[in-house]
Amino acid sequence: MTGPVRSAHDDTQQPLSRREVLEAGWKVGSGLLLLAAGWTSFEALKPLAQVGAGGTLSLQPPDAYPEGSATFVREGRLFVTRAKGELFAVAQKCPHLGCAVPFCAASGRFECPCHGSMYNVAGEWIGGPAPRGMDKFPLQIVEGRVVVNTAVLEQGSPIGTRKYDLPARGGHCAPESEG
Amino acid sequence: MADSGTPEPKSRSWRRRVQESAVYRSVVRTPPLDSPRGRAQRAFGNVFLHVYPVRVPRALLRFRSTWRLGFISTVLYAILLITGVYLMFFYTPAVTMAYGDMQTLRSQVGFGQLIRNVHRWGAHLMVLAVVFHLVRVFVDGAYKAPRQFNWVIGVGLMVVTLGYSFTGYLLPWDQLAYWAVTVGSDLVQYVPGVGGWMRNFLLGGGTIGQAALLRFYVIHVAVLTAAFFLLMAIHLWRLRKDGLAVGDPLEAHDVTERAVEALPPITPETVWLANGKRVLGVVETEDGPGHVREPENEVFAWPHLLVRHQVVALAVCALVLALGVAFEAPLRELANPNLTPEPAKAPWYFVGLQELLAHFDPLIAGVLGPGVLVAALVALPYIDRNPSRRPEHRRIANVVFWTLFIALAVLTVIGALFRGPGWGFVLPWEHLYFEP
Repeated sequence: MTGPVRSAHDDTQQPLSRREVLEAGWKVGSGLLLLAAGWTSFEALKPLAQVGAGGTLSLQPPDAYPEGSATFVREGRLFVTRAKGELFAVAQKCPHLGCAVPFCAASGRFECPCHGSMYNVAGEWIGGPAPRGMDKFPLQIVEGRVVVNTAVLEQGSPIGTRKYDLPARGGHCAPESEG
Repeated sequence: MADSGTPEPKSRSWRRRVQESAVYRSVVRTPPLDSPRGRAQRAFGNVFLHVYPVRVPRALLRFRSTWRLGFISTVLYAILLITGVYLMFFYTPAVTMAYGDMQTLRSQVGFGQLIRNVHRWGAHLMVLAVVFHLVRVFVDGAYKAPRQFNWVIGVGLMVVTLGYSFTGYLLPWDQLAYWAVTVGSDLVQYVPGVGGWMRNFLLGGGTIGQAALLRFYVIHVAVLTAAFFLLMAIHLWRLRKDGLAVGDPLEAHDVTERAVEALPPITPETVWLANGKRVLGVVETEDGPGHVREPENEVFAWPHLLVRHQVVALAVCALVLALGVAFEAPLRELANPNLTPEPAKAPWYFVGLQELLAHFDPLIAGVLGPGVLVAALVALPYIDRNPSRRPEHRRIANVVFWTLFIALAVLTVIGALFRGPGWGFVLPWEHLYFEP
């Protein structure tokens, strides 16, 4: 027996009573458990590294891509295009909401079927609700062939920085939206 | 044999003998229904009926008191749960299998297409029923004290319902599914800073592929179901604890204060009664037969409300079945990531958002718009502290709510019916580009 029972409040010797330690303990323990659950769930559910994507594609010789044309490359989901003599590898995915943008041969432009965004053959923004031009991949000529590195996706050029003035060749494939 | 008379009394006595057997009475504890006490026991002695209060406000018996929208949503959820389990027997969440499974379901599984139709139309109707339930609760001011938190839970249930619809939309793996979900999930990208990462986390990768299909499937059948049951348990529990707003007079605050004043002084023994008069009501019914105070404005839930619910449930089943027989759930071609169909529309309940996206910056229209809308709904009972539930005292709340609601409805109608290829304007009676 060590004298009268002391309450936690007037005990100045011990910073924490047993009750306080236990009370804090289960809260801290539960918190740690939640943290561990969050961390392990995140590690388990985070996307796996992309398999198969990001290789380099060796394509046709440059002469195979005439001025103003856009050739679809299925393996890379991209178009190889030529505008004013320069070659581009334009990603098919619309920077607006991810629709696959087809090339409209009649107008010579990319016209998105989802919300009517429009781009010239160099992938630059012409109209519609998209926030920028179409994204591109780096393109090189290696040993007489067009080589596209699909590991690097370069963001499309911002609106208002158009370098290539390419008027529409003819009628549009999709009706123009007011958006 | 000769004196047994007509077969009717004989069969009745047979039934009686079963009902009086020890085994039957151990399973079904049927109280005598000739007293109010017996009728009350019918409700709270039964695990399925105890969701109901013993007595409900007489006003609740009118169909137009609540339009039964919460109950209709629940019935639709039950239909979706049952048809969903059927569909799970025939569906593989793999990109190489899913679309073929849908075709097998249509061509080879007995009633397969019907079950799928019912699941689809039931899902659409549930979105409608939940939204109208929210509108009804707003109009009646039933979100006001002390029911603020149950409104928040209700908004959570609506978000879960939309999550169900959105994740379910991808599963058939046809062109409609693939592109609607492409457009929908790319919206997430516009969340500042973490948008692209969030989208990849949801899809399990940069594009909609096998990982995305499996994730959507697991979220659809397991994660949201767990969330729904949890929220629904709280929703119904709070509904019982707070009592039905229909039974309260129009001034919510007055009633709570008066109810608390009317209670006996609070002592440690009576603290648990302080939640309200309904607890007292249950206690009173336990006094014994013949001593129950039956207020003019309350009736027994069993049978008065139950019979009405039964009729509504049957009507909902009949409607969904009729829709399933009359209209086929669409199944387009196999999903093709290289070919966007014209037009690519989001599911109809998100098409208002898509219409907004054609006019405004995606960050504003696609992220801040819906984000602010949900946040405003959650905060509504805490912002609108006006205790009155009378329409004439709630002009500002009504104007704001109806302006937003009508704007959303108009955008949805334009997006769903008046938009064609390239999001160009078309007249629906000339060509309808709408697949539900």
